[in-house]
Amino acid sequence: MNAIGLLSVILFTLMAFVGGRQGVRSFVALLLNLLAVILTVFFMLNTSINLLIITLIACVLISCINLFFINEINDKTIAAFLATIITVTILLLFIHLVTKYALIQGFSEEETDEISGYSLYIGIDFVKIVTSVIIMSTIGAIMDVAISISSSLHHLLRLNPLLNKKELFQSGLNIGRDILGTDANTIFFAFFGGYLGLLIWFKDLEYSFGEIVNSKVFSGEMMTIFCAGIGIALIIPISSWISTFILMRDKEKSTSNN
Amino acid sequence: MLINQLKEAPKSRLIFYSIVIVSCLLSFIFVYHNHSLYDRPIVKVVETIIIDTETTVDGLQNKDERFTQKIEAVVQNGEHKGKTIYLTNEYSSSGAYDQAYKRGHDLFVKIVQTEDGLLTGHIMNVKRDKYVVITAWVFIFTLLLIGRKQGLFSMVSLGINIVLLSLVLDYYVKNPQSNLLWLSALMVVLFTVISLLFVSGLNDKAYAAIVTTLVGTFSSLFITYVVLSITSDSGIYYEGMSFLTRPYRLIFLAGLFIGSLGAVMDVAITMSSSIFELYEKNKDISVKQLKETGLEIGRDVMGTITSILFFAYVSGSLPMLILYLKNGVPFGFTLSMNLSLEIARALAGGIGVVLTIPISLYTAIFFVQRKRANI
Repeated sequence: MNAIGLLSVILFTLMAFVGGRQGVRSFVALLLNLLAVILTVFFMLNTSINLLIITLIACVLISCINLFFINEINDKTIAAFLATIITVTILLLFIHLVTKYALIQGFSEEETDEISGYSLYIGIDFVKIVTSVIIMSTIGAIMDVAISISSSLHHLLRLNPLLNKKELFQSGLNIGRDILGTDANTIFFAFFGGYLGLLIWFKDLEYSFGEIVNSKVFSGEMMTIFCAGIGIALIIPISSWISTFILMRDKEKSTSNN
Repeated sequence: MLINQLKEAPKSRLIFYSIVIVSCLLSFIFVYHNHSLYDRPIVKVVETIIIDTETTVDGLQNKDERFTQKIEAVVQNGEHKGKTIYLTNEYSSSGAYDQAYKRGHDLFVKIVQTEDGLLTGHIMNVKRDKYVVITAWVFIFTLLLIGRKQGLFSMVSLGINIVLLSLVLDYYVKNPQSNLLWLSALMVVLFTVISLLFVSGLNDKAYAAIVTTLVGTFSSLFITYVVLSITSDSGIYYEGMSFLTRPYRLIFLAGLFIGSLGAVMDVAITMSSSIFELYEKNKDISVKQLKETGLEIGRDVMGTITSILFFAYVSGSLPMLILYLKNGVPFGFTLSMNLSLEIARALAGGIGVVLTIPISLYTAIFFVQRKRANI
């Protein structure tokens, strides 16, 4: 068995052992996520549809897997789903604006060995690809904040049915702020770990500060970190507002039915 | 301390925001006028025209368009400052390794003077600092406006961590005999202590989370190391790191170590705050109840946190996957070449996350029991 296979078996065993059925489900979700990414790549290969729209569809698919499959379809997950899609759309437009001007798309000097021998004129807009990369690297964290807020608000309203709209929204913001730091940390460290090789490369080449900041790969990574942070922050008010709206509407419905 | 004062006194909050806005404006002025600080010549594009268009079809019927543009630009620094320069640029509509330049772009160039005194040259790179700064300010304002105190904290801890990482890497590069894994272990300890103290302050909750995070990350690294050793790295393709002139495997392991840290910390702090919260709300809660509720919370976060890691790692491979597949490289080979490192990272991180759940459960309960015994 190769290393990836063995690591997968270990992860599966641990998830099943610690998490029981829910653990198995989480593992299956991971496989489905991989499938969704590969599917997205295939759609991007041959299409006349705008790649940003494909990215958005991919985000919808990924959100369905991680919200509706791991949990189930209910108030909480629907609220989280809507909030995720709205945030992703806003972020997508912002990131596209950034990538259009900053010219961080495509491949950079450290990849020249790898891409040599391949045709680079393949008729795919790499500016949109980099937008897609940035948004997809953050979507996990965005969904996590969304579901945490909507499920906490759901519990909160059940425990304190007298809360009004404003109070519920405010609690959503507070809960969101509490997880902002840890989720941002999760994603920032993951990026650091992934960039470690690059950072050492830059240090080895003794690039000056100016050269590093202006290089395609480093400025691209910094902008990815910033956009990820913006996404994680932006989902907080959006998710709080949508959860409040949906939960309140359902509460009114159930009281008027009685 | 400062932050608490900000919360209570609107006046100091006003001062704080004024400082932020002033430094924002100053940094914009700086970044738009820092050309003289660079040694290499910089030119500003004033006008471009396309002089040639060509449709290309490669061996696999991929259609693309290639353009040649003439650029008129003004030199911004150095001995030719203020003079007009004429450049040529070739780009494709894909832009995989090239790009169209537009009015307003700043470019680093190598200036060549022709015999009749006209300036021309080669484009070396794009000056991207202003875009980094603009995005950085959008990030700062979003985090401050929405996240308030917590937003500020996470930015400060990000900043400290970046400086720390840079310092340690400097040391590593300058000392060839140093071992990157030990240095990473040191970094992991420092990152953990700094980040968790920022998140929750000096208290038992934070101590429990720190102990858990360290045990969790170290055991996940240990498992991955053992797995890589007994399978002798089969299935892991280090080609994606081939630009490095250093041992790939060590750098990969170090990256994996640091990469899973955030996720493990996330689980550790979530678990320990929930368990302490349960205890604070009901001091008579039994160990069994703590275990059950803690495990339930752990199960809830396990899946989503592993997904965060998965997407953070895997998305970066998208451009390379597309390039390979469009060039007719077989699917299996494309996946192994471009995803094996990322998937191994995600799996190792996932193992760390799941292991951390029982570890944090028992550590937090130990701290709670100790607190109980002291009362």
